[in-house]
Amino acid sequence: MSKVKCDHCHLEFDDSVMIHDGEYRFCCNGCRGIFHLLKDEGLESFYSKMGDTTLSPPTETYEASSNFDTPAFHERFVTLSKEGLNQVSLIIEGIHCAACVWLNEKALHKMEGVIEAHINYTNNKARITWDPLTVNLSSIIDMIRAIGYNAFPYDASLQEVRANKERKEYYLRMAVATFATMNMMWIAVAQYAGYFTGITQEIKTILNVAEWVLATPVLFYSGWVFYRGAYYGLKNKAVTMDLLVVTGSSLAYLYSIYITVLEKGEAYFDSVAMIITFVLFGKFLEVLSRKNAADTLDIIGKHIPREVSIVEGESIRSVDVNEVKEGDVIVIRSGERSAIDGEVISGEGSFDESNLTGESEPIFKRIGDRIISGTTSIDALIHYRATKDFAHSTLSNLVNLLENAMAQKPSIEQLANRLSQHFSSTILFLAIGTFWGWYFLPHSFDRSLMVGISVIIIACPCALALATPVATLVGLALGAKRGILFKSAAQIETMAKATMVVLDKTGTITQGRPEVVYATIHSPFEIGALHTLVSSSKHPISRGVMEYLERTEEGIDSFSIEETREIPARGMVGRYNGGMIAGGNAMLMQELGIHVDASSDKSLFYYAVDNRLVATYELRDLPKERAFESIAALKGSSLRVVMLTGDHEAAALRVASEVGIEEVYAHLTPEGKAAFIESAHNEGHIVVMAGDGVNDLLALACADIAIAMGNGSDIAIEVSDVVLMNDSLTSLAEAFGISRKTYGLIKQNLAISLVYNSITIPLAMMGYIIPLIAAISMSFSSLLVVGNSMRVRWLYK
Amino acid sequence: MDSWVIAMMLGASLFLGAIALSAFLWGIKNGQFDDETKMMNQVQYDDERELNDAANQQRKKEEYKPE
Repeated sequence: MSKVKCDHCHLEFDDSVMIHDGEYRFCCNGCRGIFHLLKDEGLESFYSKMGDTTLSPPTETYEASSNFDTPAFHERFVTLSKEGLNQVSLIIEGIHCAACVWLNEKALHKMEGVIEAHINYTNNKARITWDPLTVNLSSIIDMIRAIGYNAFPYDASLQEVRANKERKEYYLRMAVATFATMNMMWIAVAQYAGYFTGITQEIKTILNVAEWVLATPVLFYSGWVFYRGAYYGLKNKAVTMDLLVVTGSSLAYLYSIYITVLEKGEAYFDSVAMIITFVLFGKFLEVLSRKNAADTLDIIGKHIPREVSIVEGESIRSVDVNEVKEGDVIVIRSGERSAIDGEVISGEGSFDESNLTGESEPIFKRIGDRIISGTTSIDALIHYRATKDFAHSTLSNLVNLLENAMAQKPSIEQLANRLSQHFSSTILFLAIGTFWGWYFLPHSFDRSLMVGISVIIIACPCALALATPVATLVGLALGAKRGILFKSAAQIETMAKATMVVLDKTGTITQGRPEVVYATIHSPFEIGALHTLVSSSKHPISRGVMEYLERTEEGIDSFSIEETREIPARGMVGRYNGGMIAGGNAMLMQELGIHVDASSDKSLFYYAVDNRLVATYELRDLPKERAFESIAALKGSSLRVVMLTGDHEAAALRVASEVGIEEVYAHLTPEGKAAFIESAHNEGHIVVMAGDGVNDLLALACADIAIAMGNGSDIAIEVSDVVLMNDSLTSLAEAFGISRKTYGLIKQNLAISLVYNSITIPLAMMGYIIPLIAAISMSFSSLLVVGNSMRVRWLYK
Repeated sequence: MDSWVIAMMLGASLFLGAIALSAFLWGIKNGQFDDETKMMNQVQYDDERELNDAANQQRKKEEYKPE
């Protein structure tokens, strides 16, 4: 048997299973369709461009593209350009290579009415401008899907735009500062050589003027951020590091101009440029690793349905959620998410409430039961009466609480910030003292001023400004390599100081989905038939059984089962080979007249053929691999480990004893979890919370550090400060290790720069500092700090 | 006399450097460095056809400009 490449996606398959189409081979009809489309459009050069990359074959199940044309969608995502054209930001799924970007841009450009399509290869974000009179968005989306990709909108919110703008601004300032400083260095070399070997005053003045020209944009353009920072600091009556930088560099600048014009003494232009450049670099690193809290709320908003279907007499009408009044009758179909609280008046079916309660088992709802907003219907088609309007429904309340919690998130003051305040005021005080000391000793005004300024210059916090950003950057890189993403650098320090870890049960300690732990086969049966039956359902229990079968059995044949039917909250039945097969819980078996022993604290799945029980599967949510060791490691680093869960007590206690946690709080609502973290705060704990679901959101937002699991819900990832990409508890323990190492490094770096200053400042006060020494000491202390940070890479392998 | 040579050379080289710097700043402001991966791959799509496509697209864009 020979493997053949599919002509579209380039994945290799057996020749026998391929679709033969003339000289071409395709793995599926989707690939064939795209291949012919590209050929017809004259875009087949895509295949020569993509080289060795393989694509993922297209999937067929998409949300209807007409959703993209609704007014609600437009209001939310579409913006108007200056020319009156529509613009939307999309994320394109399925981009594997540069050729994919090329193909998407080309295909869109070929469409009538698409004015501009710009796709960013790095983050797969696209910005599309089109003329709404010629083409509508749904056909643009259809085009993207037709060539084998998918697109979904995202809110390119103001915050993101602003963050990008700020970053770009820093790039520009950095470019100017680096250019000027580097050029200044070779002029300075001539200056220093002249200082030791003799130089005519004329040449010296020429060099000084050149340095003056270079230092001016550095101080006033690149250094503008420090002037701004110092101004706002003074407004709040605080002596900041910015103030020290600004006074030091401005005084040195003015003094140097004075020297240049009077043609006597040494100018300090190179120090001015170096201070600004080094400190700006430290600030730039901080800006790069900052996270935007406001973006988070946009993402949460995206999960709230915008429209609901309400019943008016015979007809069903879509209305905006805000227009729904108490007493309106709302229809909810399978797969839809409810936006409004209410009470069921007709129909029945299961609801997935896991994102609110954290319980993995779907809840069966019948007439009279309460529907909570934010829950998703699994298989139910029901009508329910709204008991609250949108603004008072559970989901909106949760979002409001979340907004408050995020706004009031406690911030642990960073060591460097606290230190730099004292440092700045001390240095300014010392400099003024030195000046007066020299002036009264008595010395000339010039000389005293120069010595005073040299104190500020030599103390200028280059090393201090670099100490934290460089160390955290190393920490961030270390974490990223291990799949631990710290979203913002400041969090590393807070995490290192944490005293308490709070863990959610489902999805964090456990795997979040039931697995078969024990199978009893009462009499032999056709495995394939059971496999086909369970794979027709999306219920977590069926999924668990399906995975178990695929794991333990080899070569499962697929069977055609007729009349497969899902019975809500019971299981499913089907007809196969003339007989009836049924798989489900004890309730289903009893209804079929089969007596089963249902006394187990685990979930049980029964399988019956022709009303005879043939197999029983026991399922439960197992703890993750190496959970016990990781929890032990956390405890070992003197952290108080607590487990919170919305689940019932018995399940919680069993998991807790398996992984070795003594402190367990079960049956908690989302608000209850948050309240628990609040009370821990009041006891003086710094709390780290790890969770994965919407039910943990509030608690995550309240905690000092929120950690989300990589495959948790999008919202949880957004709210959190740290994301564990591989979902394991081992990386949680590792995250603590890395943050503590990094914090240790920050402290070392700060100590280095302080010790350094305590040696050089007395020298400066005694008047021994010349420009050359100032420049060397500045570079040397910065190098020391950077070098020390790099050391961790070898230490922490 | 010698010092004027130095002054001139310094001035000329700083001027040339400033031109290069402003070109770089223009590039950053224009968004040319926003997408580093795409930028590196751009060289693959540099033949005559691409140029024509780009020109067509430009024309199309201008047609929609408000009069």
